[in-house]
Amino acid sequence: MVENRPLLTFFSHLALIIGISFIALPVWLAFVVSTQEASALFSGQVPLWPGEHFIENYSSILFEGEKNSGAPPILLMITNSLVMAICVAVGKITISIISAYAIVYFQFPFRQAIFWMIFMTLMLPVEVRILPTFEVIAQLGMLNSYAGLTIPLIASATATFLFRQFYMTIPDEMIEAARMDGAGPIRFFIDILLPLSRTNIAALFVILFIFGWNQYLWPLLVTTDASYYTVVMGIQRMMAVPDSDPIWHYVMATAILGMIPPVIVVVTMQKLFVKGLIETEK
Amino acid sequence: MSTVTLKDLKKTYANGFQAIHGIDMEIRDGEFIVIVGPSGCGKSTLLRMIAGLETITDGELMIDDRRVNQVEPGKRDIAMVFQNYALYPHMSVYDNMAYGLKIRKKSTEEIAQQVNRAADILEIGALLDRKPSQLSGGQRQRVAMGRAIVRDPKVFLFDEPLSNLDAKLRVQMRIEIRKLQRALKTTAIYVTHDQVEAMTLADRLIVMNGGLPEQIGSPMELYDRPATTFVAGFIGSPAMNFIPVRVDKKGATFPSGQNLNFSVPSGHENVLLGIRPEDIEITTPDLADLTLKVSVIEPLGADSLIYGSCEGMKEDLVVRVRDKATVQEEETFSVRFNQQKLHYFDPTTNSRLP
Amino acid sequence: MQKQVRFDNKVLPYLLVAPQVLITIIFFIWPASQSVYQSFLVEDPFGLSSEFVWFANFEELFADSTYLDAFGRTLLFSFSTAFLAISMALFLAIMADRVIRGETLYKTFLIWPYAVAPALAGVLWFLMFNPTIGVIGFGLNALGYEWNHYLNGWQAMVLVIVASAWKQISYNFIFFLAGLQSIPKPLIEAAAIDGAGPAHRFKTIIFPLLSPTTFFLLVVNLVYAFFETFPVIHATTQGGPAKATEILVYKVFNDGFIGLDLGGSAAQSVILMIIVSGLTVFQFKYVEKKVTY
Repeated sequence: MVENRPLLTFFSHLALIIGISFIALPVWLAFVVSTQEASALFSGQVPLWPGEHFIENYSSILFEGEKNSGAPPILLMITNSLVMAICVAVGKITISIISAYAIVYFQFPFRQAIFWMIFMTLMLPVEVRILPTFEVIAQLGMLNSYAGLTIPLIASATATFLFRQFYMTIPDEMIEAARMDGAGPIRFFIDILLPLSRTNIAALFVILFIFGWNQYLWPLLVTTDASYYTVVMGIQRMMAVPDSDPIWHYVMATAILGMIPPVIVVVTMQKLFVKGLIETEK
Repeated sequence: MSTVTLKDLKKTYANGFQAIHGIDMEIRDGEFIVIVGPSGCGKSTLLRMIAGLETITDGELMIDDRRVNQVEPGKRDIAMVFQNYALYPHMSVYDNMAYGLKIRKKSTEEIAQQVNRAADILEIGALLDRKPSQLSGGQRQRVAMGRAIVRDPKVFLFDEPLSNLDAKLRVQMRIEIRKLQRALKTTAIYVTHDQVEAMTLADRLIVMNGGLPEQIGSPMELYDRPATTFVAGFIGSPAMNFIPVRVDKKGATFPSGQNLNFSVPSGHENVLLGIRPEDIEITTPDLADLTLKVSVIEPLGADSLIYGSCEGMKEDLVVRVRDKATVQEEETFSVRFNQQKLHYFDPTTNSRLP
Repeated sequence: MQKQVRFDNKVLPYLLVAPQVLITIIFFIWPASQSVYQSFLVEDPFGLSSEFVWFANFEELFADSTYLDAFGRTLLFSFSTAFLAISMALFLAIMADRVIRGETLYKTFLIWPYAVAPALAGVLWFLMFNPTIGVIGFGLNALGYEWNHYLNGWQAMVLVIVASAWKQISYNFIFFLAGLQSIPKPLIEAAAIDGAGPAHRFKTIIFPLLSPTTFFLLVVNLVYAFFETFPVIHATTQGGPAKATEILVYKVFNDGFIGLDLGGSAAQSVILMIIVSGLTVFQFKYVEKKVTY
């Protein structure tokens, strides 16, 4: 702070608190609704304070699911989401870290072409190639499987670029010293490069975990079998009940449960998260 | 305990740039060789070719009697100390030194023994558990040397290892490197751009210029009988003075038109006369070889440097005198050259005249 | 781009890039080229035969007023979302940069929405605006303003914009805060000594220095609004009422997956690919290097 202006400081705090309240309000109200019983939501009153059906609603949705819309128990969906998020994050990191290694540390024919091909994935989000991708997955028999949910998502230009960028900052002498010490390419990668990349891997993991968890269109396409639903897409099945209102307290309980894991990851690993976010955009 | 032989060694980069034009040399067992030259002269390239970090375009490189042109750096049985030390940041000092031995599948006991021996020699035993980031510049330098000596290699390679240290530490480490190499009797090749380092460390030194060795020899040989104007100007500080001299039937003259009091090699119309600042003395006008006018005086304590201008010459002549200068700025003074220490060069080829 | 010092190995690099390359070809390049190919075909209603028709699908699209409407709607939606998300984030970042006490706490409370899936963000705001049990929807109705996004297209649009922007605020906030904190303090202090007050300093020093960040965020937010907001719409309004929230990505999905108009949907895909390619190249060429964090 350059100068002391109590009024301005007070105003800043006030603005931040209002901003935070605005941002938190929808989640608070979702939580409130998730603890009501069905009848309370038809009473013509807007509930602002949690009701008394927290345990009842949540245990019902977690372990039984919502029969009306054919949604399986949310616990299953959470497990699916977890599997998907972890596989996507680990898969993306694994294939990116090795392909970046090849691109930076080796000279080989088509190196440039491969780099540009990886770059092109940035330009082809799933939203613009929905139908043919669906056909590929169907032909490969990957519908309704964890493989179908995860493998097609693990190609990643962003992660490859991040590692490439990071490798470029490692002084050349590091590889030279390793070569003098007698280390070949694989030992150098495992003994030197991988340990040096630890923070980057962790930061990337946070970002990619969220990316994987929050996938929506992809699981929507790949899963028709409810036992492969993920939370984020499963909620759509609960919202889109033909000719009737969604069962709000169940939908909101699902929404709350669906956001808790990634929010916990972001909040507890805030530093890594911010680092990952900023680095991946470089 | 090894020899290194370079036979017409050449390096041409993919873009066509020829960095090394063909070097022949025999490095004797236990010898300390310093490669010195300005930046871009190819000295680092040459060292890296010996290390195996740069491919050899042509010629032969032998360590002992083995041709190693195609041998991986790790299998040449050499060790290298890098300019920025290149310590592995995530490993402790111990692991940094042990890494090369681990890769060579030495037993844990042998590794421990070797590392401890090296740590004793370099007095870094107390630092073994630390990470490189917790060390000072001088300590890192020692660890880098430790990493080289644990392997007990045939040849040590040093790539400007002292240039990241401050002046005082540099002098201290320079002496230590010399002592260490004497004690271990390992052949060493050392690259630097600092001629003082080169002079003080080398058994023999190679002065490189434009990808070619200008001269190879002991420091005093190079100082006393530089083969080219380049070597003459590079070795010795302050650098040798050069005075263009014209020779005709009447005799030799300075650019000022003054006649020389001594003879110059015959058969050349123009000759470059070289004289070191320490080989010029101030004298009385009747004994003068040349008269100068003081432009700047630099007192260095033990010595003083007097920069004097001379009619017809673009650059000032530098004169080194003991103690304080006896002349004042703007004053005119007479100097005499030490006749035993005159050097003559051909101004067209820049090489020494006999 | 690449190291000067490299390993020589004939096989290893190919093995290292193989997984990435295979996945890219099978799941990215191949389907995308299928889209391009499809966009030149017209299939008969039973999918039995198809005919190569060059750009007929594209011509049809650009003659189709519903497509052009969707285009305009997408622009309106994207710029509104970007503007809302960026301005809110900038304001909050400036405030957070000003306060010394509690900065980390505020930061934590402001960044978590990044973790909320767009689909869930949509669902949360769908509830907020619900005419009977949502605070805003109910409140507006109680105040005499008739709110029903099930029937009113504009209101549905407002709903999806707010939900999309809400989720993006934290992303922008992080970048703005990083940008603000990278401004050298002496610069601000020098201005203060020159007598510039906080507002004046913001206008003449801080904002100009933040402009690369702002520009970068504008591009990122537009890409987000164009493509990543599909879940917001799909989970809530489903493009309705009466296509009032049908943006381009939603239309591709709807026409292709639900309407089974393969050629038309493929042509739309190709147009979207061109847009996203353009934005990506733009971002890399003009934005990436100038952003200061």
